[in-house]
Amino acid sequence: MSNVSECCRTLSPQEQHLADIAKGDTSYKKGRERVFKILDRVQNLKPVIDAERAKYFTQSMITTEGEHLTLRWAKAMMNIAKNITVYVEEDSLICGRAGCQGRYGILYPELDGDIYEEAIRLLPTRTTSPFDMSEETIDTILTDIAPFWDGKTFFNDLYNALPEDTLKLTYEPEEKATSRFIVNETASFRSSNQWVHDYEKVLKRGFKSIKEEAQAKLDALDPMDPLDNVNKKPFYEAIVIVCDAIVLWANRYADLYEREAQKCADPVRKQEMEKIAERCRHVPEYPARDFPEAIQSQWFVQMFSRLEQKTGTIISNGRMDQYLYPYYKADKDAGKLTDQQAMEYLECMWVGMSQFIDLYMSTTGGAFNEGYAHWEAVTIGGQNSEGKDATNELTYLFLRSKREFPMHYPDLAARVHALSPQRYIEEVAETIKEGSGFPKLLNDEEIVLQLVSNGAKIGEAYDYAVSGCAEARMPNRDTFTSPGVYINFASAIEMVMYNGRTLKTGDEVLGLQTGEVEDLKTWDDVWNAYVAQATNLLKHAFVQQKYIDRLREKHFAVPMSSSLHDLCMKEGLDLHTEFIPGGVDIGYFESMGFGTVVDSLAAIKKCVFDEKSTTLAEIRDAMRANFKGYEILQQRLRMAPKYGNDDPYADEIGKACDLVCSEFTEKYSRSLGINYCLRYVPFTSHVPFGEVVGATPNGRVAWFPLSDGSSASQGDDTNGPTAVLLSNFYTKNPSFHDRAARLLNIKFDPSAVAGQEGTDKLCSFIRTWCDLKLWHVQFNVVNRETLVAAQKDPDKYRGLIVRIAGYSAYFCDLSPSLQDDLIARTQTATI
Amino acid sequence: MEKGCVFNIQKYSVHDGPGIRTIVYLKGCPLRCKWCCNPESQLEKPQIAYNIEKCIGDVCLLCEGVCPRHNIAFMDTNKVWIDHGNCINCLQCAKVCPAGAIISYGEYREASDVVDEVERDLTFYSRSGGGMTLSGGEPLLQADYALALLKEAKRRGINTAIETCGCVPWKRAEEVFSYLDYAFFDIKSMDAQKHKEWTGWDNSVVLDTFRNMREAYPELKTRVRTPVVPGFNDTEDDIRAIRDLARSYPNTDYELLRYHRYGTTKYTFIGKEYELGDQELDDALFERLKQISNEE
Repeated sequence: MSNVSECCRTLSPQEQHLADIAKGDTSYKKGRERVFKILDRVQNLKPVIDAERAKYFTQSMITTEGEHLTLRWAKAMMNIAKNITVYVEEDSLICGRAGCQGRYGILYPELDGDIYEEAIRLLPTRTTSPFDMSEETIDTILTDIAPFWDGKTFFNDLYNALPEDTLKLTYEPEEKATSRFIVNETASFRSSNQWVHDYEKVLKRGFKSIKEEAQAKLDALDPMDPLDNVNKKPFYEAIVIVCDAIVLWANRYADLYEREAQKCADPVRKQEMEKIAERCRHVPEYPARDFPEAIQSQWFVQMFSRLEQKTGTIISNGRMDQYLYPYYKADKDAGKLTDQQAMEYLECMWVGMSQFIDLYMSTTGGAFNEGYAHWEAVTIGGQNSEGKDATNELTYLFLRSKREFPMHYPDLAARVHALSPQRYIEEVAETIKEGSGFPKLLNDEEIVLQLVSNGAKIGEAYDYAVSGCAEARMPNRDTFTSPGVYINFASAIEMVMYNGRTLKTGDEVLGLQTGEVEDLKTWDDVWNAYVAQATNLLKHAFVQQKYIDRLREKHFAVPMSSSLHDLCMKEGLDLHTEFIPGGVDIGYFESMGFGTVVDSLAAIKKCVFDEKSTTLAEIRDAMRANFKGYEILQQRLRMAPKYGNDDPYADEIGKACDLVCSEFTEKYSRSLGINYCLRYVPFTSHVPFGEVVGATPNGRVAWFPLSDGSSASQGDDTNGPTAVLLSNFYTKNPSFHDRAARLLNIKFDPSAVAGQEGTDKLCSFIRTWCDLKLWHVQFNVVNRETLVAAQKDPDKYRGLIVRIAGYSAYFCDLSPSLQDDLIARTQTATI
Repeated sequence: MEKGCVFNIQKYSVHDGPGIRTIVYLKGCPLRCKWCCNPESQLEKPQIAYNIEKCIGDVCLLCEGVCPRHNIAFMDTNKVWIDHGNCINCLQCAKVCPAGAIISYGEYREASDVVDEVERDLTFYSRSGGGMTLSGGEPLLQADYALALLKEAKRRGINTAIETCGCVPWKRAEEVFSYLDYAFFDIKSMDAQKHKEWTGWDNSVVLDTFRNMREAYPELKTRVRTPVVPGFNDTEDDIRAIRDLARSYPNTDYELLRYHRYGTTKYTFIGKEYELGDQELDDALFERLKQISNEE
């Protein structure tokens, strides 16, 4: 309502907190002086690029050409471990970083080193996720790094491999590195899909034991067998080297901290540094002995893994409340650790994570992950491998830490199942109400089922960890898969209306020629034309994916990640190998613009064929004119049934659209050789995908963002959040197993969840979501007015965290168009 | 089956009864409370409402052409203007408006059709203990229809509640209460004169229906509610008097509702004026009254 006065608004705790800070209140820092000191130092720094990793990686790769790729990678990792600068982490209780101090991003030239010249020119000023870099860095990139990779990168080979007709749907014809956002590959800016390591293995065994395992494997090889000699021997040698490399790197930290401790005048800090040195001397080489060592060991592994490779959206943290629990419990029982101290160690890790930025050199990559997004999802709750509830005291500590220290890292992911305890659901609800978008919820009742149907053992499926934005991994059963295709189905709608063309590309025929709209006489004609156009895009997507899958193992290797995987160690195969015996390959392709497509088709069906108030030709002309001169028609189209309102008229069309993808996948996923699953997770890419799509028959104007994920079109879900869930439910085709995450955003006005009553109702809402077996849901609890104010006056709202697409980010780090998009998402208030 | 006039069905209502609920708003009310936040609910038949913000102006003007009374004029602000006073609610303009700027509040619907829509959220009700709430207007004004809705809901296992102002003779209302799990009963003032002045009727029917209801259905969980309106009932004595009445019955609690002006834009939509202007209820006063309402 327009005339609601300021005093009537209910503020979320986050909004209240920001208001308090604006008034100069610093009491929120009490008890967290250490982490706030670190955070205040780095939070508002513009990220810079650090080229050291790329430099030492390239330096080694130059000298090993022709060798086994995993071995080359291990040698490169050793070169990095020996030479990369080690840093003292001021104030922190842990150490280890992959680049310079402050917020930083590092380079992976093996992916895209041949676009660096162009990218360097664009990076500092681009609107989505800009970066700074020094003259020295630019010099290093252009002399020591880029020249070697010219013609050798994954991107280069992919570009050359793709057939002409697939290529033209993939990249702009004139600008090689620019996506066309129609059949969009994401494999050239990340080398594999999101992943989770088996961290527990490192904590329990240490790399010394893993190295011994590799050594034993080497000793057991048949010295006469050519296959053992050519494939397995160099693989296990690589494992030995990489185990040495990470231990050496950790010991360099131990040395540094010992030296610095001696110089330290402050006796308290001196002692802390000595302790840190002691830990670095012990882990990750040996098993962790207590909670602080477990944290340090895990941290070394995740940072070294960033040095190893650019995995899609970064390696997640796995089930932290499970594998850290024994250390936490033992230390607490022994009186060595308080909850406050445990949170301090964890929060040192969170501020460490927030400083590493997932750098995308290509503008396309940057647009996919606005707000410098990365997802080290921390999984809590859920079930154990026996199917029993797994929550423990540490689970609740993670939630408490997120409420009391609401930073945008880590991405907290709460697993929910039918028998999740009520205390857990309530604390999850309380944390959501805090307003920063955490935690996101993942539904065991859907995910376990899907993992089992794709070939996992049931106990492994119960033990899955949330990975990346909305996925699930079983760290010893899943194997690497290539990042998938993002298919712009809103373009397929344009191709129906313009006989194979789109407004942006003009005369060029990109799709099939399904006829001028004058020749589409019935609803069935329109539907069949859409199916033909959509299927054609699917065909090119799968062709593209096949090339990507095949090329991946020729370009990338991951010795450390492989060393932590049971199947790799057993078979002597790198985790990047296209097929690993016993492995389950789950990959994804993305349906972009689901709501836009469903609403467009529903509007055509309703207005042209049911009410006969317009014709297809008139809609096409209106689209071409961006509705100028067709305002009445635009309004009629907007009033047609919309997805997201539990309206069977729209939802039946949605289910049919989903089925087009599912049937194609059922038929051809096997020829890809992987479980290639349909997914609805856009990151932030529904914005750039919308920028190539002209006006659409749902009344959407040209170049406006597409609907995101499986959410309704912006502002069109007017029937409340229960209807949003039900529409999601009714548009699924549950009998198909090749399906994965559907990302779902729900925005609540803080007044809708206020008080104990609000918590209770949010709990019921979550329980029902679980009953409906929907994959994922996340919430924004924020006033629209706050977002509008933050857009106008960013300095006052630097700390405002919002939930975007499987992650949360600082609102002020986002591009204006994404900010608008967030503001436009329908908000559910009270009545 | 019974048809009645419904002007809104609101899903995911979390403030009107236990759990997650769907509110069915029935049109028509005997009272004319000066602070009413649902002015579109008062008339007992469909009527038009016009949201000027949504009007797309000179590119359209379809409404101007269909109005049989020539009530609609185009203005230099590039919006149309509607003479609500002369409107006969033939709804022609609402039917042609493409933008949803002119809409019709209220439509006659079968009870089973309404409950079908309510039932779509059944899974949310069973998880939360929620269900259907009848509201208005005054739902008891269409007592037969309300009864049909409640019977149908009960037949399908849906929890039921009502929000009533009670200003309907007991004999007409009586049976409705036997199909309810929960009742919200508004008592606005114990002072007959003030009640008449601010709502159009004195409170005798309200109090009679309330007492009868409490005696006939002592087990029915009931919440007496009072909207605290500045200048009308915002004194300690007013609140104490209502509280004492509520407390004299079992299974009856008492709640104060804070005065708000969220409904004022809707007055503009239907061409009416909001009489109370922009006065606010003092926060501290409301807190004090709330304390009194909670005293035993």
